[in-house]
Amino acid sequence: MIHNRKLSLAAMGVVAALALAGCSAGGGGDGGTVTLNMVESLTNPARTTLIKGQLDEFEKANPGVKVNLISPPTDSADQKLQQMLQSKKGIDVLEVRDITVGPFSSNGWLYDMKDDLKGWDGWDDLTDNAKSYTVQDDKAYYVPYGFYGLSLFYRTDLVKEAGFAEPPHSWEDLLEQAEKINDPSKNVFGYAFRGGSNANSNVVAIIEAYVAENLDKANAFKMNDGSTIFAAPEAKDAMKTYLELFEKGSPPSSVAWGYPEMVQGFSSGTTAFLLQDPEVIATVSESQSITADQWGTTPLLVGPSGMAAQPVATAGWGVAESSTHKAEAVKLIEFLTSGDRTIDFAKGNSLVPIVKGAADDPYYTTGPWASYVTMNEQPETYLNVIQPRNVSWWTEWVKKSDTEVQKVLVGSMTSDELLASWDQFWTDKWKNAG
Amino acid sequence: MSIATRSVERGDSSITVGPPDHNNRSRKRRQFTRRRAWTILGFLAPSAIFVTIFTYYPMLSGSQMAFRNWNLNDLSNTDWVGFNNFIEIFANADFWGVLGNTVLWVVGSLIPQFLIGFALALWLRRRFFLRGVYQAFIFFPWAVSGFLIGILFRWMFNGEFGVINDLLLKTGLIETPIPWLSDPHFAMTAIIIANVWYGVTFFAIMILAALQSVPDDLFESSAIDGAGKIRTLFSITIPYIRATLALTVLLRIIWIFNFPDIIYGMTGGGPAGQTHIVTTFMIDLTQQGNYGQASAVGLIVVLVLLVFSTFYLMAMREKKEQ
Repeated sequence: MIHNRKLSLAAMGVVAALALAGCSAGGGGDGGTVTLNMVESLTNPARTTLIKGQLDEFEKANPGVKVNLISPPTDSADQKLQQMLQSKKGIDVLEVRDITVGPFSSNGWLYDMKDDLKGWDGWDDLTDNAKSYTVQDDKAYYVPYGFYGLSLFYRTDLVKEAGFAEPPHSWEDLLEQAEKINDPSKNVFGYAFRGGSNANSNVVAIIEAYVAENLDKANAFKMNDGSTIFAAPEAKDAMKTYLELFEKGSPPSSVAWGYPEMVQGFSSGTTAFLLQDPEVIATVSESQSITADQWGTTPLLVGPSGMAAQPVATAGWGVAESSTHKAEAVKLIEFLTSGDRTIDFAKGNSLVPIVKGAADDPYYTTGPWASYVTMNEQPETYLNVIQPRNVSWWTEWVKKSDTEVQKVLVGSMTSDELLASWDQFWTDKWKNAG
Repeated sequence: MSIATRSVERGDSSITVGPPDHNNRSRKRRQFTRRRAWTILGFLAPSAIFVTIFTYYPMLSGSQMAFRNWNLNDLSNTDWVGFNNFIEIFANADFWGVLGNTVLWVVGSLIPQFLIGFALALWLRRRFFLRGVYQAFIFFPWAVSGFLIGILFRWMFNGEFGVINDLLLKTGLIETPIPWLSDPHFAMTAIIIANVWYGVTFFAIMILAALQSVPDDLFESSAIDGAGKIRTLFSITIPYIRATLALTVLLRIIWIFNFPDIIYGMTGGGPAGQTHIVTTFMIDLTQQGNYGQASAVGLIVVLVLLVFSTFYLMAMREKKEQ
């Protein structure tokens, strides 16, 4: 009995010791080796492999620095990141997105790299867009690794069969062509309308195109006079065109379409037009329903003034304020966002690259990528603008605006009410933020 | 005289508890000594500590957010705000619609789940060729993630390239595709259909287990007395398994109420918030960073379910006594 009791106590002691050991595990280094913990959030297996390859190169070039890549599943990655940042432990380098930089920085979780980047020899290689996204409001919380930008994917055969010589150039062209191609009886539709998750982004894209002449490029939700774009008279015209596009040229069920349905709609041959990011190029290229000569891309659609605003989305790498190895962390970010390495990363993830050298790469100057180069070559037509995605209320805005777009589509709200609501929302937020 | 009293009189330091000594079984029981108490406590401690740290502490910690201005997008001011979060939730017109949706979701899912699950359990109770294989197929949905089921049904109910519209069109039951997930009325129907498919299994498992506990003698006796199948069902089977049925229904109500997975995968609460239930509404709030209001919704859910469960169990007890 006594023997059993001692054994039980010993077992409990071991369990307790293991538990305590688990609790006290931490990062850092031993024997002069610095270990950086790097957390990605837009995780996918191919990308993780690519990053690991580049981290191996970094470790070879920087003896004494090891990088431990942490890859939580995408769905829960942001929450995991927030928990790690809040606990101020075990995180040095992290993936920062334009929509997370606001809340992360306002909570004091991100390190301002502005001074560290001053001596970086890769700085001059960055495109103007990359520079303007790296330093915002005089702070450098992250260096982008690439950009997502919209272009119009279109079916060359359907456009031709409908009697049009060219793909749509403006939103009005798109409405005309989509309406003509739309034939529900054959299960063929004009436009892969976005009514579900992130529906607000395409509504904003058309409004910005319609108000482009007087748009504040530094804050693309504002007009030059300081009012919101949603209060502009042109916004009503934009909404009218956009709703007509839904009613006359889109699948009825697209009220609920998010990214997967839109891409499936186009790549399965159900819809003729799709407004999407370049990452879709890879998916459409693998389609079994449409062949390479049946589709192409064309630049973002312009408004009545002949201009469009590129609502660029981006993500990059930043350093945690709590990191005890900031110098090494910045060095790693500079390494990942320089030279051919960053072009390889952009190609591997279907991103618009951040360095000027990519403009000479045949990969980007031909085929479906050519429209992105065209847009970059014509900055007077395709304005480079910055949307206020870095504000702390961005996720609140996305939820609110998505719900209201659907309300308009199902008829429980008018487009005028929607514009008034959005105008009120942004006016109040900016006022409260001072 | 109790064992405890006699122990004290004998000067025995051991603590003894148990039924009166007229019960023979108590003599066979090992004495509950102080030494044994420590051993039991020692073995209980790890799980008690684990549950306290990983269940009750987070729960209490989360609950206090409901009374604070806890917005993850700006943690510079997390002051106590009393019942402000609750007031804002109740003042939100959408919340009352969400409550209505929740009732529809629970009732609309529960009744078909119960009826089909009961029928399946009655069928599976009989012995027939490959019964085990049928059971495995029927119980399979319970092993699948609710979120995955939501995504699968989202594609199946897609208006243009979904298999359900395709089947309905090909069989001539409809002439034009139904916009299942984009029409507010059809969307609620679609998510309930998916939930019924998923939840039938649970009722089938639980009721089948209960049915197997009904002695065959009872059925034989009722057959000899000339009772038909319907009479046997209502006079023998159901009264015998009533306790299991009551508990299963209660558990399902709580789980369906708290089950956002399918809805989240299928509609995300849309279109225009028309399929939001309280828990998807709560997730929406957390995604906006508003943990204060989300916690308030969470506490409201707990309160509603506690009150409901209390009345439900009281009603069941009253019926049993009658």
